[in-house]
Amino acid sequence: MGIVTDKLPGALEKVPGGNVLVTRFDEIINWARASSLWPLTFGTSCCAIEMLMATGGPRHDLARFGAEVARPSPRQADLLILAGTIVKRMAPRLRTLYEQMAEPRYVIATGACTISGGPFIYHSYTTVRGADEIIPVDVYVPGCPPRPEQLFHGLLTLQKMIKEGETIREPGVRRKPVISALPEGITLEDIQGEMKELLVKENVVDVQHAVDKLKWPSGLNEQSSGKSGANESGAGDGT
Amino acid sequence: MTVEVSSLKELVEQASGDDRSPDTQEYFVNMGPQHPSTHGVLRLVLKLDGERVLRCIPVLGYIHRSIEKISEHMNYMNCVHLTDRMDYLSSIMNNWAVSKAVEEAAGIEVNSRIQYIRTIFAELERIQSHQLWWGVLGMDLGAFTPFLYGIRDREVLNDVMEETVGARLTMNYVLPGGLMADIHPNFVHRVKEFIKYFRPKLDEYDDLLTNNVIIQERLRNVGILSPQTAVQYGATGPVLRGSGVAFDLRKDHPYGVYDQADFEVPVGTIGDSWDRYWVRVEEMRQSLNIVEQLLDNIPPGDFLVKKLNSKIKIPEGRYYSQLETARGVLGVFIASDKKDEPYRLHYRSPNFNNLWCLEPMIKGDYIASLIGAMSSLDLVIPDIDR
Repeated sequence: MGIVTDKLPGALEKVPGGNVLVTRFDEIINWARASSLWPLTFGTSCCAIEMLMATGGPRHDLARFGAEVARPSPRQADLLILAGTIVKRMAPRLRTLYEQMAEPRYVIATGACTISGGPFIYHSYTTVRGADEIIPVDVYVPGCPPRPEQLFHGLLTLQKMIKEGETIREPGVRRKPVISALPEGITLEDIQGEMKELLVKENVVDVQHAVDKLKWPSGLNEQSSGKSGANESGAGDGT
Repeated sequence: MTVEVSSLKELVEQASGDDRSPDTQEYFVNMGPQHPSTHGVLRLVLKLDGERVLRCIPVLGYIHRSIEKISEHMNYMNCVHLTDRMDYLSSIMNNWAVSKAVEEAAGIEVNSRIQYIRTIFAELERIQSHQLWWGVLGMDLGAFTPFLYGIRDREVLNDVMEETVGARLTMNYVLPGGLMADIHPNFVHRVKEFIKYFRPKLDEYDDLLTNNVIIQERLRNVGILSPQTAVQYGATGPVLRGSGVAFDLRKDHPYGVYDQADFEVPVGTIGDSWDRYWVRVEEMRQSLNIVEQLLDNIPPGDFLVKKLNSKIKIPEGRYYSQLETARGVLGVFIASDKKDEPYRLHYRSPNFNNLWCLEPMIKGDYIASLIGAMSSLDLVIPDIDR
C-alpha cells in the first residue's frame, strides 16, 4: 500500500520497504463519469424515436453502456443527447436546459439536423443550422436518423474522450469535438462484435495503463530509484 | 390540555384577513416544451384550480421547420423526402399521400403491383406505429414493462421492412410513379413469419395492459370526446373512430388495393380514452388481416412505371388528395402554376386537429387524467408544427 501525499493530487507514493500501488484518481473519476452517464430525455423530432426509444428497448439496450437512466429533469442529467431539429423558437429553451445541467456536462449531437440543419438547411426560415451555434457539442453522430448502433459508437467515443480528457489539475479542459461516423463498408456484425469486445475491455480500469501514462516528476523518479524516506522538499510537482 | 380545532375557513380568514377566500385560487402551469409525456416539444398552458384542469391551451411552434415553405423551392420528387420527417411514425403513408396527389394531378397511372406493395407497407407501418404507441402509453401511465414489449416486437417488424427499404425510420420508399426499390426476395416469407409471431403477442398485450385493472381505471370514463365535438373539431383516425363515428378512408373512399381486402373498422362507443385505446389495439389485428390477404396476391410487374424524372410537371390548378395514416386523414393540397415546383404545398395533418380535442376532452378533470388522455390521442408533434 502507499500513502497519499499532498504534493501530487491523487498520486500514491511508495512507502519505504513496502509494495507500491500507484494510480491516479483522475483515472478512476473519469472512468466513473464515463460509465454512468445520465442522459436527458430531450427529443424534439424523428431522432428521438431512434435515439431514446429504440436504444432504450430490449434489442439495443443502452443499459449496457451504463447510460440508461434517462432523466426528464436537466438538473439530474449530465449527458444531453440532442435528438432532432432545433428551431429558433426552441433555441433559448435548449440553452436554458443546457445551463441547468450540472457540471461536468456532455453533449452528443445526433442526426443531420443538429449538425448542420440537415434537410432543412436551405430556404428554411426557422431552423437553426447546427446546434453548436447555441451550445458546445462534444460528439457529432451523423445520420438521418442515425442507427442506434451509431449512437453507441458516439457514446463510446464520448466515453473515450471523458477518460482521457479532464483531469483534476485541469478541470474543464476538454478534447476538441469529434465526428463519430462509422467507417464505410462496415457491417452490423462487425459493429456488434466490436462492441462486445469493447464492453469487456472498457469496463475494466487498467491500472498499469494509468501508471504508464503518468509522467513522473523528476523528484519522484529519483526517489523511486533508491533514495530513502519521504520527500520533504516537495520539488517537482506539476508535469 | 385541549386543542381547539377550528375550521379551515376560519384558519384562512385568520391568516390572511378578509380579502382572501378559503377557495383555492386559479393558477397557470406550463407543461412542456421539455416534458417526458408530451412526446416531443409540445407546450400546454394549463389553467388549474387545485388539481382540476380549467383550460388547456396548446402552444405550438417549437419544432416548426417550415417544411411547406421549403417544398416550394423543390421539385415534386424532392418534396416527398421531407414528408418522412413530419409524421415519422407513418413515413411511408406520408410519402404515399404526396405521391398520390402528384400522380392524380399529373395523370400518372401506376400498376397494381405498386399498389399492392404500397398497401402492404402502409399496413405494416400502421402496426409499427401502434406498437410504439402502445408501449409509450404504458410508460406514460407509469408502467415501464409495456414499453419493452412494444419495442421488442417493433424491432422484429423493423428488420423485415429494413431489408427492403434500407432505412429504419425515415423510409423514403414511395415515390411519385412507383417505389424506390422492388421488394426483397425474402420479404413475403418474412412477413408471413412476422404475422405468425405477432398474433399471439397481441394476446400477450391484452394480458399485460388491456385487462389490467389499473389501466382500465385510468382510461375508462376519462377524456370523453362526444362524436359531435370530434366531428366539429375535425378529428380523424382512431380519435374519431373511438368516439363512435365509423369514418375510415380505407373503407369509405378506397385507395390502393384496400377494396380487395376484407377488413372491419373498429369503432368505440362513448369516446373515452379506453375506446381510443381499444380501437388502436383492434386496428393492429385488422392490419394483420389485410396484410395476410394481400401478401399472396402481389402481381408481377415493374416497381416503377417510368424512369425517375425529377421534372414532373403538373397542369395549372389546385389539387387535393387524402389518405388515412396511422393517426388520421392526411390531406395534401397542391397549387400548381405549370412549373415543376409547387406554387403552394399544404398538408392537412391529422395530429393538428386531434390536438385541439384535448381541451373539450379534459376540461374539469384532474391533471393526472390529462396525461392518459393525451397519450390516447397518440400525438406526433413535428406533424402538428411541420
